[in-house]
Amino acid sequence: MAEAYSALALLRHGVTGRSWTPMWRERPLERGYPVVIIGGGVHGLATAYYLAANHGVTNVAVLDKGYLGGGGSGRNTAILRSNYLTVEGVRFYDRSLELYRGMASALNFNVMFSRRGHLTLAHSDTSLRTMRWRAEVNKASGVDSEVIGPDEVKRLVPEMDTSATARYPVLGALHHPPGGIVRHDAVVWGYARAADRLGVHLHQHTEVTGIEVSGGRVTGVRTNRGPIATPVVLNATAGWASTVSDMAGVPLPVQTFPLQAAVTEPVKPFLRTVVVSGTLHVYVSQTARGELVFGASVDPFASYSTRGSLEFTEGLAGHVLQLMPSLAKLRLLRQWAGLCDMTPDFAPVMGATDVAGFFLDVGWGTYGFKAGPVAGEAMAECIATGQTPEIISAFGLDRFAQGRLVGEKGAAAVGH
Amino acid sequence: MSMRLGPRVGEVIDRDEPLSFTWNGRTYPGYAGDTIASALAACGVRVFSRSFKYHRPRGLLTASHLDPGCMVQVDDEPNVRGAHRRVRPGMDVRSQDTWPTLSFDVKAANELARRMLPAGFYYKTFMSPGWLWPAYERVLERFAHGGVVGPGKVSALDGNERYDKRHAHPDVLVAGGGPAGMAAAVTAARSGCSVMLVEEELELGGHLRWGDDVDLTALSELRGRVAATPGIEVLTDAVVLGRYDGNEISVLQRGLPHVAERLVKARARTLVAAPGLIERPYVFAGNDVPGVMLSTAVRRLVNLHAVKPGDRAVVLTANADGDATALDLERAGVEVTRVDARRGGDVTRALGRGRVRAVELGDGRRVECDLLVTATGWTSAVSLLTMAGDQPRYDDTAARFRPDASRLPSDVMATGGVVGDGSCAQLVAHGEATGREAARRSAQSSVTASAAPPPLPVEPHPALFRGRTHGMVDFSEDVSSKDLFTAVEEGFRCPELAKRYTTATMGPAQGKLESVNVVAIIAEATGAAIAETGTTTWRPPYAPVSLGALAGRLREPTRLSPLASWHHSHGAAPLVAGAWIRPDHYGDPVAEAASVRDGVGIIDVTPIGKIDLRGPDVSRLLNLVYVNKWSKLEVGRVRYGVMCGEDGVVIDDGVTGRLAEDRYLMSTTSSGAVTVWEWLESWLQTERPQWRVHATPVTTSYASINVAGPRSRDLLARVVDDVDVAPEAFPYMHVRTGRLAGVPGCVVWRIGFTGELSFELHVPAGYGLHVWERLLEAGRDLGVRPFGVEAQRILRLEKGHLIVGQDTDATTKAYGAALDGLVKLDKDDFVGRPELSWGGQPGDGQRLVGLRMSPDSLVPAEGSQLLDHRGLICGRVTSSRLSPALGRAVCLAQVEAALAEPGRQVTVRLVDGGTARAAVTEQLAQVDPEGVRLRA
Repeated sequence: MAEAYSALALLRHGVTGRSWTPMWRERPLERGYPVVIIGGGVHGLATAYYLAANHGVTNVAVLDKGYLGGGGSGRNTAILRSNYLTVEGVRFYDRSLELYRGMASALNFNVMFSRRGHLTLAHSDTSLRTMRWRAEVNKASGVDSEVIGPDEVKRLVPEMDTSATARYPVLGALHHPPGGIVRHDAVVWGYARAADRLGVHLHQHTEVTGIEVSGGRVTGVRTNRGPIATPVVLNATAGWASTVSDMAGVPLPVQTFPLQAAVTEPVKPFLRTVVVSGTLHVYVSQTARGELVFGASVDPFASYSTRGSLEFTEGLAGHVLQLMPSLAKLRLLRQWAGLCDMTPDFAPVMGATDVAGFFLDVGWGTYGFKAGPVAGEAMAECIATGQTPEIISAFGLDRFAQGRLVGEKGAAAVGH
Repeated sequence: MSMRLGPRVGEVIDRDEPLSFTWNGRTYPGYAGDTIASALAACGVRVFSRSFKYHRPRGLLTASHLDPGCMVQVDDEPNVRGAHRRVRPGMDVRSQDTWPTLSFDVKAANELARRMLPAGFYYKTFMSPGWLWPAYERVLERFAHGGVVGPGKVSALDGNERYDKRHAHPDVLVAGGGPAGMAAAVTAARSGCSVMLVEEELELGGHLRWGDDVDLTALSELRGRVAATPGIEVLTDAVVLGRYDGNEISVLQRGLPHVAERLVKARARTLVAAPGLIERPYVFAGNDVPGVMLSTAVRRLVNLHAVKPGDRAVVLTANADGDATALDLERAGVEVTRVDARRGGDVTRALGRGRVRAVELGDGRRVECDLLVTATGWTSAVSLLTMAGDQPRYDDTAARFRPDASRLPSDVMATGGVVGDGSCAQLVAHGEATGREAARRSAQSSVTASAAPPPLPVEPHPALFRGRTHGMVDFSEDVSSKDLFTAVEEGFRCPELAKRYTTATMGPAQGKLESVNVVAIIAEATGAAIAETGTTTWRPPYAPVSLGALAGRLREPTRLSPLASWHHSHGAAPLVAGAWIRPDHYGDPVAEAASVRDGVGIIDVTPIGKIDLRGPDVSRLLNLVYVNKWSKLEVGRVRYGVMCGEDGVVIDDGVTGRLAEDRYLMSTTSSGAVTVWEWLESWLQTERPQWRVHATPVTTSYASINVAGPRSRDLLARVVDDVDVAPEAFPYMHVRTGRLAGVPGCVVWRIGFTGELSFELHVPAGYGLHVWERLLEAGRDLGVRPFGVEAQRILRLEKGHLIVGQDTDATTKAYGAALDGLVKLDKDDFVGRPELSWGGQPGDGQRLVGLRMSPDSLVPAEGSQLLDHRGLICGRVTSSRLSPALGRAVCLAQVEAALAEPGRQVTVRLVDGGTARAAVTEQLAQVDPEGVRLRA
């Protein structure tokens, strides 16, 4: 059993030189589990944790074909916010933000949530109008957001070119003080460690090669390490959501697009706020280590490639310098790509399916990381109780057959 | 204390050109050809930086561009590689993140708590009390390690400097200018290829540059061949950043006159990677103390820069390079103690802090010294090859990962030290064979058969990664082998996880120096073999690259109407509208609107999208993409149309006119000009390829001018040459072509976005300004005045005309935009029909309505939310203005269908949190709902 983390524990280990117990254990693959979760990212691990912590379902296996958090959970830009466009979206992501805020103490793992404030820049009167719309929905829902002017933007981000002669002048911004960033790997590890402590089995390098369905019910999964009998399978993958879902005979209306990101060399902190520009397709934040993390919109064509492109970095650099010209001599250190499963309405697919025992938590597009905790909490409830929680009721797979698309497309398209 | 040696045979400094620069505020001398590091080292400076976490003093390790110990701030440029950058007169060089000084840095106190600060310690603490975390955060941020950018450091380029880009198309690009690379370049060029030879360092030559007399002879011979061979372009101080699909190779070129940096985008037929070997640091206690250096660092300092790196040296050698280093040092007057790792010799600890004082050897001896040199092995520089698909394998004999090459595409080859060992002659021979084969592969007509270069030998080398003690693995991140052991103990057994946890290889060197040590130490900690522990993915860029170089001179293009100069000189306030900059107003939008209501105004509407459609199947295309019917549109008529996506959501609107039997002009919204054209093309090319339609975007071919107001006909009559504008001859929603103000080929249609009688003129762009000025001149007595976008918005809102994207959003279906009457479900098929016929029940979703405010002069902000009687959001104000014509607010709003009936009351939640009442109006139009003025 892992010990509790604290400053005192650090001191004790430092003095005695005693080694730390593993954060999670490598366990033998059992022949059967009551619940099997495919995907060891933040969604799968959070679901496993909340199944154990909130519902007492501890005999859960989390399978990942690679290492924990090696997919979208380790490739996103770790921006958190709840300033969405629809009431449902605001409520959903606000719950997620609340879970992130309390995560360090709940998991006894410092995920380094950093409340930075989140700025979405408006470079045209059209986007200024959208920012006002979002601010008004947020305020009516009790979420702290306001439209601010260029002077206030300049005060928050002194490097910003707020001159009226800029090609895309900053006319204002949606300022969302509760937004921020978090250490994404720590979220994965925190959930993994907490789930392991409650009895969840984490199996890395365990690739699912098939899902057994018999009489309309899930009966098991096949893996590269042998078969597992199980009545409940949750597909919590990203990038391969439709491939995994096909194994259970459940087709998904999902297209997979690469989303690229990049990071610079560290410099002394100068950017406190998360800055997003939809017009320039860029978002920027500075980590506590001093690196600037850049993201953009998804690539313009569907692909499973996780290799970055030169054009991406060229465009990105141009856009960043339009916002902050004084960064010309800052060097880009690394670029990468992750995979995003896009649905037609930019909203996820969550809940039960027509195959009994086969659950979905997929289709997270470009905003899966920030929803990880609330999605895990809701999916755990969904699996444990057999009832779809109200907070995710709009996200069922059947909406595509019934024409009930979710109205978040407008906001999701704005950028993260 | 000068450490400068007498002249060396291969030195690169120019002793006839002394210079001076400042280091932390003090002036130091140097010579042209010195790097920042060599100039300082020649003055006896040994500490150049402090480490990331413990702020331990750091000196030179590799004395090359990879040196993690010599990252400095140069003027306004952070993180400059001081061991690579040539020193220039007057340079202001400073150490980074040291306070108060480099020699006395308070953060070095961290070292005292080192045992309490293992890798990832921050994940385990600072959790309670939670409210203190922001304060902890501020403290942690102070440890961010690097130089400075920002407002205090404006990175303006010198006046004559800029970033630029170049596209190149060499037959063969050789990455690496060592002996094999030079030989490959020469052979490929002699075979008739154009060759680009790229070398990261400041001169060609690779390791020959700091070698012995034999090496220097070979070097000058090879350089001579390169210089004498036509067809080779040599780029030094230029680094290949990445290899992308289609053999697109990005090269960063530095050190050019008048150009800060240049990004070369090369499409090479064949890439020859000749990156050579990187000397690998050895892990033992104290391996980061200043004065512990790699053998190549010492040879660079002594032989290239004539700097004596110490007075008493211990040389730990496992190879010929180490042996040669010892000789070099002795020749430079340094007292040398050799420790031969091939015979079991080892170093267990370097003692000292600001500089090495002594070394403890594996046999227990202790040797006093001020320099410890290690020559314990090599790392193949495989990253460029892995970007092309190679998966290097660990070679037990060579004790390093070597490229596999079997997975490489045919347009990528490798030569030189990265492939294997061998004498200079063998490397040159391999390079020549590779160059020949690269030329064969690059040639369009291949005549000779493929001739794979003979393999290079692989010499045995002891597997030296870590000694008997723990030491630094990642110098830039301050990650020790102990940290890696701890990470493995804590469950991070997969190298990718261990790296993420400890941050090893995440620093500015990106693992080029340390990644093999990381893998070897994780293998040691897990008890697995190095081969099965694996290596990691190399991602571009190979070397960090400035944002300026990536951005280049590319700027966002701006679209300007042919009338832009007129607007500018007449005080127009600019409005950024996508790619366009338009006049928002000319000082008084309300008066401009009034002139349209009362007399006549003209507005530049050039950005309106215009697509020329020709062919016998145009009406079928229109029927497909618009929700309404088009089959019966006669020549000379225009019709308003709305386009939906396949989800039934409104994506664009506009009028399309039939100019001739098989010729139409379609207009789109300004923001939709490009997307609608692409939309048409995607339907024509992928779904209806049999249709005969040419769709040509002509938005900028025409200047478009809208003439609006009750006197617009009178004005137009004065400028038309051959178009009859009389009401009977030119009714509402008709189109005419003809000559205006002497300009032939104009299109005029009579429509009315402003709600007034109006004509839209599409004039060949080159004559736009002429027609505009002619209209102003001809209408002077009518009181004609130009109006801007703001006046147009007021007018259209009074008339209740919607703007797609403002009064609709990404979820608004045709019914939600009050366009029910337009949707013709009895048509055969159109885009969005299934969704509209299926999901279009009137009770669903939101509707577009007009709102009458109470009090009626209150103008709620666009975006204000509407609340129902329960206080829940039931809609929003999409457009709002104070109407000059009515003297009260006019609004459009999206509201839930159930509340969309005329007379229904809703609450408007104002921006300041207050509320007001509003009632749904009868019609969207508040001015002239019957359209009398339009049809006048």
